[in-house]
Amino acid sequence: MTRTDEELVARAQGGDIESFNQLILRWERPIYALAYRVIGKEEDARDVCQDAFLRAYRALPGFKGQAKFSSWLYRIALNLCRDWIRRQRRAPVSQLPEDADATELAAETGPVESIEDLVARRELSAIVEEAMSELSEEQRTAIILKEYHGMTFQEIADMQGCPLSTVKTRLYQGLSLLRRRLEQQGQLIPQVVKRV
Amino acid sequence: MNDIFQCGDSGALVAYLYDECSPGEQELIAAHVKRCAACAIEVDALSATRRTLAAWTPPDLALGFQITRSDVAAAANGPARILEPKIAWWRAPLPAWAQAAAALAIFAAGLSVGIARNGTPGPSTSAQTAGAVPAAQSATMASTGPRTVTSTVSRDELAQLEQRLKSEMSQLRPVSSVAPVAAQGSDDSLLQQVKALIEESETSQRKDFTLRMVELAGNIEQQRRVDLQTVRQSMGQLQDVTGAELRQQRDALRRLVSEQSR
Repeated sequence: MTRTDEELVARAQGGDIESFNQLILRWERPIYALAYRVIGKEEDARDVCQDAFLRAYRALPGFKGQAKFSSWLYRIALNLCRDWIRRQRRAPVSQLPEDADATELAAETGPVESIEDLVARRELSAIVEEAMSELSEEQRTAIILKEYHGMTFQEIADMQGCPLSTVKTRLYQGLSLLRRRLEQQGQLIPQVVKRV
Repeated sequence: MNDIFQCGDSGALVAYLYDECSPGEQELIAAHVKRCAACAIEVDALSATRRTLAAWTPPDLALGFQITRSDVAAAANGPARILEPKIAWWRAPLPAWAQAAAALAIFAAGLSVGIARNGTPGPSTSAQTAGAVPAAQSATMASTGPRTVTSTVSRDELAQLEQRLKSEMSQLRPVSSVAPVAAQGSDDSLLQQVKALIEESETSQRKDFTLRMVELAGNIEQQRRVDLQTVRQSMGQLQDVTGAELRQQRDALRRLVSEQSR
């Protein structure tokens, strides 16, 4: 039987470690993905992810369920990402791992994807990653939370601590910059206004 | 949001793009987008950008964080730890003791091979060595006569040299006779370790090779894309030129027809 996050949180607060481990299992991938996309480094994202769960576990007795568990966890992870970025004292630059094991990647893609598709996918992924790294931290975070984690404008506003209109502006400006960058890279066909 | 949508309202467009406005607003903006080419193109381009963003996937790392009971007990006194037991054993870094053991095994293997190559100088070898000099000496003496020998090396010097060699050999003998015996016992395990190391090295070489091949394929694909892009651009330019010429010819024909009809 699949328990809800709230049920698992209640059990974990009662001392059931396995329930918390189930929560970790459920949320470790999204939290890692968030951290990776925000800070752009595999190992550091992994550390941030681990630290987020550790902090969540320690703070669990104080979690009263005012927000969703996932939102609370995202907020912890995002704060850790911000700390990491501040520590770096520079704009975070996403990078494709140079030692990425293409053979393992190929093994994961299954028999349907050809080597050409795999290469094209990796190439496009790297282009998007590079384009994202050129955005400001706020724009990037807003786009990541919206595009990859499906949050509402209001949730993003709560997470980023800004008005809802600011979130929309960040999204619009970020997407427009990405659009231009991707057009330059030949990944999008430039659109021109036609006279009707 | 206002009931009246103003063209160029980026906030409203974003809300429309992400389907986060009320049904009324959605209809209003949709109607506007149908009429306004600029907004339609903007929405299309941003939607295309969103679709492209889907290509960005984070690396598939083995995570598997877990909190264990011992960690909870430790957390009562100090900070808890999160363990990562799911990392595949061949991907996990070796602990320091294992690395030291591997280095030791390689060193021992090298040492035993080196000793085996040099051979064990036993008494017979020693005797042969000791006897070789007089034998060679006597042969030389037989062929060239005693004069040449006495002029180069004296008997006393040879005796001293022999004595010194014997003493050095006697010092070396116990070491060289014990080492192979000690090495013999662990030969099998050493061989197995060496074989394992060789296999590991071969596997990593194979992986490197595959990786290089994939990178090569990537480079070729990239070049192909650039070439295709160039060809497309050239074709587009050509079409533009041809189209312009056609238009000019059509206009000229129209002018001629109209002049003739007058």
